[in-house]
Amino acid sequence: MSTQARGLNNFISDLRNAKSKEEESNRVEVELAKIRTKFNPGDAKLAADGSNPSLSSYQRKKYVWKLVYIHVLGYEVDFGHAEVLTLVRSKKQSEKTVGYVALSLLLRGSDPVMGTIVDTMKKDLTTAPNASGKKKKGSIKNDAVQCLALCSLANISGLELIQAMHVEVQHVLVSKTSTEQVKKKSALCLLRLTRTSPNLVSGREFAPHIGQLLQDTHLGVLTSVMSLLNGLASQHSSDYESLIPHVVHILSVLVMKKQCAREYLYYRTPSPWLQIKLLKFLQLYPNAVEGHDIGMGGNEHVNQLINVVSRIIFETDVSDSINKSNADHATLFEAVNLIVAWGTTCPVAMREGAMKLLGKFISVREPNIRYLGLMTMAKLAQIEGSVEGAKTHQATVLVSLKDADISVRRRALDLLFVICDTDNAERIVDELVAHLVVADASIREEMVLKIAILAEKYATDLRWYVDTILKLISISGDNVSDSVWHRVVQIVTNHPQGDLQGYAAATLFVAASPHRCHETTVRVAAYVLGEFGFLIAERPGMSGEEQFHVLHQHWFNVSTKTRAILVSTYAKLANLYEECRPLVAPVFARSKNSSDVEVQQRCVEYSSMREAFSPESVEDLLREMPPFEDKRRSALELRLLEKEGEDSAAVTKASTPSEVEQQRALQSAEMLSNPPIEEEMEPIEEQEDETDMEEPDNLQESQEQAFDVAGEEPPENISEDVVQNGSVDPTVVGIPKELIPAMRKAFSNLCTSPSGVLFENTLLQVGVKHEYVGAQGRISVFFGNLHSSALKNFKVKVDQPDHLRMQMQGTQDLLDDGEYDSVGCTVATKTQAKLLVLVEVTAPFDDAPSMRITFETEEGVQHDYPLRLPLVATCFMEPVNLDPGAFMQRWKSLEGPDRECQEVLKLPAASGIDE
Amino acid sequence: HEPSRSETRTTIASILLLICICPSLHHGSNMISFILMVNKQGQTRLSSYYEWMDMQERVALESEIIRKCLSRSELQCSFLEYRGFKVIYRRYASLFFIVGTKPDFDVRKSSSKLTGKHVVGDQSVENYENELGMLEFIHSLVETMDRWAGSICELDIMYQLEQVHFLLDEMVMNGYVVETNKSNVLRPIDLIDKESKKNEGMFG
Repeated sequence: MSTQARGLNNFISDLRNAKSKEEESNRVEVELAKIRTKFNPGDAKLAADGSNPSLSSYQRKKYVWKLVYIHVLGYEVDFGHAEVLTLVRSKKQSEKTVGYVALSLLLRGSDPVMGTIVDTMKKDLTTAPNASGKKKKGSIKNDAVQCLALCSLANISGLELIQAMHVEVQHVLVSKTSTEQVKKKSALCLLRLTRTSPNLVSGREFAPHIGQLLQDTHLGVLTSVMSLLNGLASQHSSDYESLIPHVVHILSVLVMKKQCAREYLYYRTPSPWLQIKLLKFLQLYPNAVEGHDIGMGGNEHVNQLINVVSRIIFETDVSDSINKSNADHATLFEAVNLIVAWGTTCPVAMREGAMKLLGKFISVREPNIRYLGLMTMAKLAQIEGSVEGAKTHQATVLVSLKDADISVRRRALDLLFVICDTDNAERIVDELVAHLVVADASIREEMVLKIAILAEKYATDLRWYVDTILKLISISGDNVSDSVWHRVVQIVTNHPQGDLQGYAAATLFVAASPHRCHETTVRVAAYVLGEFGFLIAERPGMSGEEQFHVLHQHWFNVSTKTRAILVSTYAKLANLYEECRPLVAPVFARSKNSSDVEVQQRCVEYSSMREAFSPESVEDLLREMPPFEDKRRSALELRLLEKEGEDSAAVTKASTPSEVEQQRALQSAEMLSNPPIEEEMEPIEEQEDETDMEEPDNLQESQEQAFDVAGEEPPENISEDVVQNGSVDPTVVGIPKELIPAMRKAFSNLCTSPSGVLFENTLLQVGVKHEYVGAQGRISVFFGNLHSSALKNFKVKVDQPDHLRMQMQGTQDLLDDGEYDSVGCTVATKTQAKLLVLVEVTAPFDDAPSMRITFETEEGVQHDYPLRLPLVATCFMEPVNLDPGAFMQRWKSLEGPDRECQEVLKLPAASGIDE
Repeated sequence: HEPSRSETRTTIASILLLICICPSLHHGSNMISFILMVNKQGQTRLSSYYEWMDMQERVALESEIIRKCLSRSELQCSFLEYRGFKVIYRRYASLFFIVGTKPDFDVRKSSSKLTGKHVVGDQSVENYENELGMLEFIHSLVETMDRWAGSICELDIMYQLEQVHFLLDEMVMNGYVVETNKSNVLRPIDLIDKESKKNEGMFG
């Protein structure tokens, strides 16, 4: 072995002795700094190419090797390129060798310094072995230089280099004078070049050259040329079809005659790697054996090929030597891949033989063979008519699903997915669901997705499908993505036939009944009960009210996203069942101040819907959703595609509809084209049709639009109370509707300011002054008579909610203490009655206490104004004094999405700031 | 549960990885993406990449794959799938040989064009490197190294890294198996050896 540089040896020993990653990286940093100063000492003059001419050959090589070493360890090396190039340019063999190896490891083809090395490489590349052959040694040397250049070029392949040298590479490859060593390397070098710029080689012109090269008897050359051929043929397969007989010939020599140089025998098998490459080439021509069965393919090479493949399939023995056995099975699996590529054109006996063999493989103990058996069977089973054979091994596959090895489990899952169809779907899906309980986290999401797809595709009864998904949620709810449960909703909505919708509603009602259940269950239940709850409302224990209670018990345990869905469901329930309205109203009232915008908006809009629109429009808005558009690819398939990539067997399987599915689609299409009830649609409803049907949330969208149409902001619930209460008795004058917006504004103002006007019309002005200390507050209310005459029977009644302890004091008889005969006081014109309320808050609360004012004018008209005191939770808030540091700390701790927003406002021209 | 730091790092790597794989969709990728020789402690002693990868991404990918390989038992199969790579590994006493391969995009794309009407033939050419073939290639590599250095061990690889690189370059080039004939593989190395002895050693 060569003598090593001592410095390098020491460096390596240091790294080896490093106890921690940190120590290692420190050592590397020190070394890098040292090399940097060696390469550029500052005082010495550098050569034109940036290298340091004062370095000795020994030093330069040593430092470059250190750089290579450091690079291999995983550290960035971004200098020293000039020294590497100096080594490459050197005339000394040892320097050149180091230079080229470092070049291919450290530099990229696109690096600008590559331009400066083109000429050197080109020269090295074309230095043909000494033709005169006087000195044998000399010729070998040249051969080595050529190889180094080729190897480097292949590894770095920059565009500039390729353009400069591809002609030479091609020439060297086909030249008769090139040595085997050079041919081997130039073939792979050319492959790399064509990979970077695919149209470098014209297939028609080049195919004969390859044919020539395939005559070579050197197996190393053949192996490399086959790699090149596979690369080229995969781009333009028709150009190289003429080479099939050559390839078949080589294969048959290796397989049938076992003819091969001794050095290329690997445990008595003739170069398995070359065999694999030959078989891979043949896989590019899936029609090669078409018609062979019916005697049309009379070509000799086709017969030969069939014989070779049969030999591999039927006569491969299991050997005692694991290496021999592996080598033989490598060829065997490749031959099965070829059969798979031929597909239905392959002789049936061969396909069946292969399937039988794979059936044997998947039951052996050896994990490698079992893994490959499962994988290959999944490919083979996809050929028309082969799935039946694979299905007979179902039980064995199910065993592998429980294997200790995740790689094997994945393959088993994949294979089960492929062999699943209408006949065995229930069993396979049930097995998968059962396995899901014990499956480890890394595979669960994939399993859930696949189970969901299988259940949907092959369900003969969609009720089973609904049950399966519910099971998935209860077993592994966290792995059930939104797209899975959205799909359930879509399917239930789109299949009105049978009693699917009623069944789904009842099942989900039961599923959501326990207090503890997965949030996804709550979501599906909320949506389905909202849509189809009415189908089961007549059943005992499932009335609208009970549906509400089942859902509402989860309210406090679920996220705001789920609450938003619940809110929509509540709106629908309230619309259908009178008895639900008083249950729903407080929920809306409370959530109208929710911190979540979506929940808030929904509550506000639903609660004021009735006021804003005619009852018919409200009915329409809250009617069940129209069927979803049938997308060609469901969201589930897209997810699968995302996970597995285009080529996956699973994806193709998932995207082709099964028979059952097609039938189902037909039936529901019929049902849907003649829906049982069809009424004329309001303009709003039409708009709803245009909205995206993908998300169950679209009800919300249509609502927003509806409000846009009405051109009104969503009103707050204070007005709702007012309107409802005010219209109790028509002979009594309530608060006119026009006043409501102004009142709302006045109320909000008062919530933040210490005094202001709560209510004002031509008769009466109600002013409020309030102040708070800690939990206590003092509220003064003034009732001013603006009328020209006195207001009689003036009474004020303030609700005393549980959460407030109140003391009230006011003008004589002003307070309505609930006694029947209280007559109230009289407020003379231009005077005020006063009310002082002392409150102490004792519990958290979220709504303002109401205050009802009743009086009678001189003319005998009764007035009744229901108001609310501006006594809200925020009134009791106290500022916290913070020094700037503490403030910033708190400010920064507020993290998370949507916590900060910016808006740029344009000040109106007359903003008055200047004044 | 909170993701550990290494998990976070691999998430970042996956993003980077995507960027890296995309260009290879056009150029076609190599059959062998990388070869690693790793000791029992998980330290890389030799790495050879046949496809350019950023250092940061490389380190992340390497450590994750090594971790996975080291945690597998002898009873489990020698293959694992990770981020689009099919990893084939083999253990020799304290040394792990790990080969990462990737599907050949060119081959796959064109074959699906070719067999457009054959939905079946379509997915058949997934064209991973032949797993068992690669497994035995590792063995062949080890046998060759054994012939070169007696019984190969970690120290041979560390202290004679350049020789191992030469040897590997003779057997794998550009991601493809180029030579398995042991004499052919070792001849150039012997030559360099003789050459450098003549010049008072490799670093003479």
